[in-house]
Amino acid sequence: MAALLAVPAHAAYSPGGTAYTKRLQTSLLAEPAPLASVVAKVQYAQKLTVEEVSGAWVRVSVGGNSGWVFAGNLAEQKPSENSDALDHVGVSASDTSASAAARPLAPAAIDYADRRGLKQARHDVEWLVHTCDAIPAADVDTYKQAQKKGEFQ
Amino acid sequence: MNLIRSLFCTLGILAATAGLHAQFGGFDLNKLSNTAKSVGKMAKGVAGIGPEEERVIGGSVALEIVSTYGGLLRDEAIVHRVNLIGRTLAGCSDRPDLAWRFGVLNSNTVNAFSAPGGYVFITRGLYALAADDDQLAGILAHEIAHITKRHALKIIARGEFLAGASSLAAQQSKDVRAVQAQLQQFDLGIGKIIDTLMKTGFDPNTEYEADSVGRDLAVTAGYSRDGMRDVLEKLQQDNLGASNQVFSTHPPLKERIRRL
Repeated sequence: MAALLAVPAHAAYSPGGTAYTKRLQTSLLAEPAPLASVVAKVQYAQKLTVEEVSGAWVRVSVGGNSGWVFAGNLAEQKPSENSDALDHVGVSASDTSASAAARPLAPAAIDYADRRGLKQARHDVEWLVHTCDAIPAADVDTYKQAQKKGEFQ
Repeated sequence: MNLIRSLFCTLGILAATAGLHAQFGGFDLNKLSNTAKSVGKMAKGVAGIGPEEERVIGGSVALEIVSTYGGLLRDEAIVHRVNLIGRTLAGCSDRPDLAWRFGVLNSNTVNAFSAPGGYVFITRGLYALAADDDQLAGILAHEIAHITKRHALKIIARGEFLAGASSLAAQQSKDVRAVQAQLQQFDLGIGKIIDTLMKTGFDPNTEYEADSVGRDLAVTAGYSRDGMRDVLEKLQQDNLGASNQVFSTHPPLKERIRRL
């Protein structure tokens, strides 16, 4: 019964409804496919009109442009410009899908570790940060393509 | 080493945090470090928790989680797999560009945690219990939801801690004792989050929200909507839910399964 009642997240978007961009730049594509040509690029936290939904893809329009966007690149509610927007600090517009490298354990957190005697934990977390940041975005894309996840499903 | 000297040594480390503009509950840690130099500069009295504050808080909470749960499992193959799945999910979340890091705690207990700023941890015991990518994704998506919904930050943002910290900031502190008090406020705030994560747990509705948001996130990313539900059912069948080591800080498994 639960499965019958399931409503996929992207089904939240319906023609005539609204959606928002949540990345620094979101590409509107000519077709509902990850490698389709780019029709236009939309900036962060822009309101879009939903024109059509096809599986995990949503065709939207904004400012005279129309194109397809993977539902996972859209938000149902407008992102906070005062907080969420700053997640992008240190992430270039051309590499927004990459994990935010160059954001190590904050110095004040390191100081906290020293105050609390968490030396080993500090080494562990610093190792984790280094290890995670060493995983390139290309590995994630390869995984998504092979496993048919994200925009490749 | 007397108290003042000790404090200045501590603040000396903070002073090395060039570029850090971390406020916490109303005071600015970066300015606090400047205070170590001039003993007179005042922190801003802004009560919000922005991204840099979240990064400081999250890192500190992550340190406590790692310390409590046996350190991190340094198996790069496992960490790689967890991060591929985690980043696939996080990329579809409402905060896709947060600095997401997914680690495995070297503990046989069955649990998972998250810390503000993008830290997600799963214990070795729970990792072993997840039969496939769908189940692992269900677990990770639940923890990602806690972060995107800022559940841990709300613990301090809505508590008396924030009022206390703001009050401190308003005092225009110019002495070492005030600086020390602000650091203590910071540590108290971290302690409050840790107590909730590891002892009392979030309130049931917060957990149910993470279950729901996590389930939808898993579906959007292309994983089964039943991954988390399957894990919870497995815990229930194995009677692991009765153990105080297993998701002890979460609501009853039966109710969570029903809602999923």
